[in-house]
Amino acid sequence: MSESFSSSIPLPEFALWDKMKHNKNRGLVSFDLEVTARCNNDCSHCYINLPAGDQEARKKELTLEQISNLADQAVELGALWCLITGGEPLLRPDFFELYMMLKKKGLLLSVFTNACLVTKKHAEFFKKYPPRDIEVTVYGVTKETYEKISRKPGSFEAFMRGLTLLMETGVRIRFKTMALKSNLHELPEISNFCRERTKDYFRFDPQLHLRFDRNPERNELIKAERLSPDEVAAVEKADEERFGALKKGCDKLINPEFEKHVCDHLFRCGAGNGSFSLSYEGFFRLCSSLWHPDTIYDLKRGTLKEAWEKFVPKVRAMRSQNKEFLNKCRKCAIINLCLWCPAHAYLETGGMDSVVDFFCQVAHARSAAIANTK
Amino acid sequence: MTEAIINTSAIYLPSEKIVAREIEGELIIVPLVSGVGDMEDELFTLNDTGKEIWKRLDGKKSLKTIIDELVAEFEAPKEEIEKDVLGLTEELLKRQMLTIAS
Repeated sequence: MSESFSSSIPLPEFALWDKMKHNKNRGLVSFDLEVTARCNNDCSHCYINLPAGDQEARKKELTLEQISNLADQAVELGALWCLITGGEPLLRPDFFELYMMLKKKGLLLSVFTNACLVTKKHAEFFKKYPPRDIEVTVYGVTKETYEKISRKPGSFEAFMRGLTLLMETGVRIRFKTMALKSNLHELPEISNFCRERTKDYFRFDPQLHLRFDRNPERNELIKAERLSPDEVAAVEKADEERFGALKKGCDKLINPEFEKHVCDHLFRCGAGNGSFSLSYEGFFRLCSSLWHPDTIYDLKRGTLKEAWEKFVPKVRAMRSQNKEFLNKCRKCAIINLCLWCPAHAYLETGGMDSVVDFFCQVAHARSAAIANTK
Repeated sequence: MTEAIINTSAIYLPSEKIVAREIEGELIIVPLVSGVGDMEDELFTLNDTGKEIWKRLDGKKSLKTIIDELVAEFEAPKEEIEKDVLGLTEELLKRQMLTIAS
């Protein structure tokens, strides 16, 4: 019978991931597609947002045809999963065409949105052509908190209306929030709000990285929203699910063996292994935050194959000669608890192998919180 | 869902509701619309035998022709091949991944 040659395989058990992982040509699994940097909200902590009406940014956005061409190249290299993100993707007037174009290429789609722009038409569309999931960001669950962060009057009402429409589609909704100075007091309510509405996950991130465009005025706004090291440790500890997972994984996260490491490689993360990010202007990066000029590749002037097969290994082979970094971060036993990575270090300091004192303080506060409960 | 009635003289082709892709030797069927296949955490895939049948479901060959081709190409009894072809066709029709051409 047909069971012998067809099967429905749960995604986490899909043998393809293994094959791709062990493929010496480094298989491509997924990519993030930033279709715009513009957003209807103006969140102070955001690392990318430009005003919705920014005509200059709009002109720089990849056209539908350019995205289609790049998606074809990604599919050719084996990509199966595509995250449509922004900015706010629904701001694109051609969103429906763009989404269907990607779907028809056989890509499994995820969409990140703030839900504020969701109309009945979007809801009906998603119901008919469902993505694998939609991830909605929740800044607050009261008008006061939400709009303090979004800095857009009326956005809380729009968010609630859009979310209700999305919930009615039956599409899997996932939630996330950033823990900020402005919503810290409301975090337990945000967590309850999200967990009541999804069978899937709710995740929050208490650590903010700086802007991709390194805009100094906007970076100051982000820094003002950052939780202190003790606050980061405290919000994690207060969340049973998150802290449980953190403690469970601490044997892997905290590794005294790292202190003996002699290694001058910049990249020890998974950047460029299986996935990449494509900016709204057509820049290829190994991960969404990696914006150092030596690590970006302009896909308007080259091919994805060249970026994937030649450029990525070159970036991953980069090494550091900065003694402070090599002696401090490279040998740090708690580096896995730290927000430090070459990408975040660049956004913070302009150098990929710089030590970032604030990250260091947060990592030590997190480590102390784990140690105190052992 | 009503039981699909399979006629070996019928010609089938992939439904417009899906996209079939081969990645690293695996044939994966990705649904485009809701209600087709598994929309949640699963992927519908075909193994090598399934692929041999799938690639012949091209809107040109009848099931009978497909069965005859497979009998000529593979060392397996005709009854077994026929059972496999009909079984997979039924499964794919149920999942709306296949449609009848004539």
